[in-house]
Amino acid sequence: MRIRKFLPLTCLLALQGCVTSSVDEVLYRGTEANLGDASVVILGRRHASDYETEPDFIECVGDHIHSADSSINVMSELEFMNALYPWFEPRTAPLRPEDIERLLQVKPVVAKLQEMKTEYMVWIDGETIRTEGSGSMTCGIGPGGAGCFGFGTWGNDSHYEAAIWHFTDRVEVGRMSTTATGQSYMPAVIIPIPIIAPVQSTACDSLGEQLLHFFSAKY
Amino acid sequence: MSGSMITARFLTAAVVLLLGACANNVVVHGSFPTPVLEKLPYTLGVYYDPDFRNHEFFEEATSREETDWRVKTGEAQVQMYNTLLPGMFEKIVILNDLPRRDRVAAVAEEQVDAVLVPHVAELQYSIPNHTKINVFEIWMRYRYELYAPDGELLADWTMTSYGKTPTAFLQSAEAAVNLAAVVALRDAGANFALNFTRVPEVKLWMESMASKAKESTAEPGDTPNFEEDSP
Repeated sequence: MRIRKFLPLTCLLALQGCVTSSVDEVLYRGTEANLGDASVVILGRRHASDYETEPDFIECVGDHIHSADSSINVMSELEFMNALYPWFEPRTAPLRPEDIERLLQVKPVVAKLQEMKTEYMVWIDGETIRTEGSGSMTCGIGPGGAGCFGFGTWGNDSHYEAAIWHFTDRVEVGRMSTTATGQSYMPAVIIPIPIIAPVQSTACDSLGEQLLHFFSAKY
Repeated sequence: MSGSMITARFLTAAVVLLLGACANNVVVHGSFPTPVLEKLPYTLGVYYDPDFRNHEFFEEATSREETDWRVKTGEAQVQMYNTLLPGMFEKIVILNDLPRRDRVAAVAEEQVDAVLVPHVAELQYSIPNHTKINVFEIWMRYRYELYAPDGELLADWTMTSYGKTPTAFLQSAEAAVNLAAVVALRDAGANFALNFTRVPEVKLWMESMASKAKESTAEPGDTPNFEEDSP
């Protein structure tokens, strides 16, 4: 019975493509051991014209931190952007820690930030792109049934960089980056079997783990 | 009801349904946040002309594989400005008429300091017919007019906005275009909110309003007496 339960999971794990990842970290100040009731907000950079940091990735990093240490209050990106509209929209968001000063001249913004107890702001910049792909697959349908035959493969590359800003001191306190690459395959003999490399989720876990080491007293 | 009539009605309904299936109709819906700003001390009249209220864009299919697209943004545009402007100004009055010199009294009754008239001057977009993925992009150029209560044009300027579907993952084409439009409207609101006071003509109007307020609050005794220097 137990074997039957674990068989699909084992098959799923076996069918994942391989991913290689690396992380890099520079801290200008010691890690934060006690955040208390202050909150952290993780935001994606979207000011570039040719790419945008995916909202799903930002949510994934936030979930990773909060699920590992529930004492860390991670605000949702959209909640924060709505609460401080229009100051954190792609065209208006501060690009340097010194720009926070401009925000703090607006009294309602100051009141809102105090209410939210935002201590740290993490800006994540990057994206996951699909690289080379090859192979071909043909699918057909007839009175006797349907099926596909062929083989396809493609690669994914993730590169993300996180800048940690201390909101009260208006300084950047650290910078972390992660890269992940992986190759996915899709062989098809009647049924296509996707063997997907979890590139973006690996990058998310790597960056989430690094941020956790910075913010959590448990790590 | 005769059998032939029922058949005719059924056929009509089927034709209408089939025609509807050939076009993607999207009425943009979204929620827009109230801005966190220091309110400007003015009562602003706002007039949404019928073109703005009912704004839509239409893309006709150019081949059999493509479908027509009709995207109605008017309702969402009005909703966004009705959320944004009360957060920017002390008081907002929605007007039913454009201020004109022959209708000064109607606008003056509302006691507004100025009247804003927004227009969508230009709209460009890319839809899946062009990009083949469920990522839409919308770019808009707004033209704003600011009138004095007597109908005099105080300022006329343009601002742009841009929106792109944040993710193509598991989204229907309709949901994707709706999201792109909502992002573009948020951007339009952000641009307007933070740059309104930087428009040179608006700056001049605000300065004149400030000096008028100063004059009206100054008591007669406060007026400085200029003594002529005796030779």
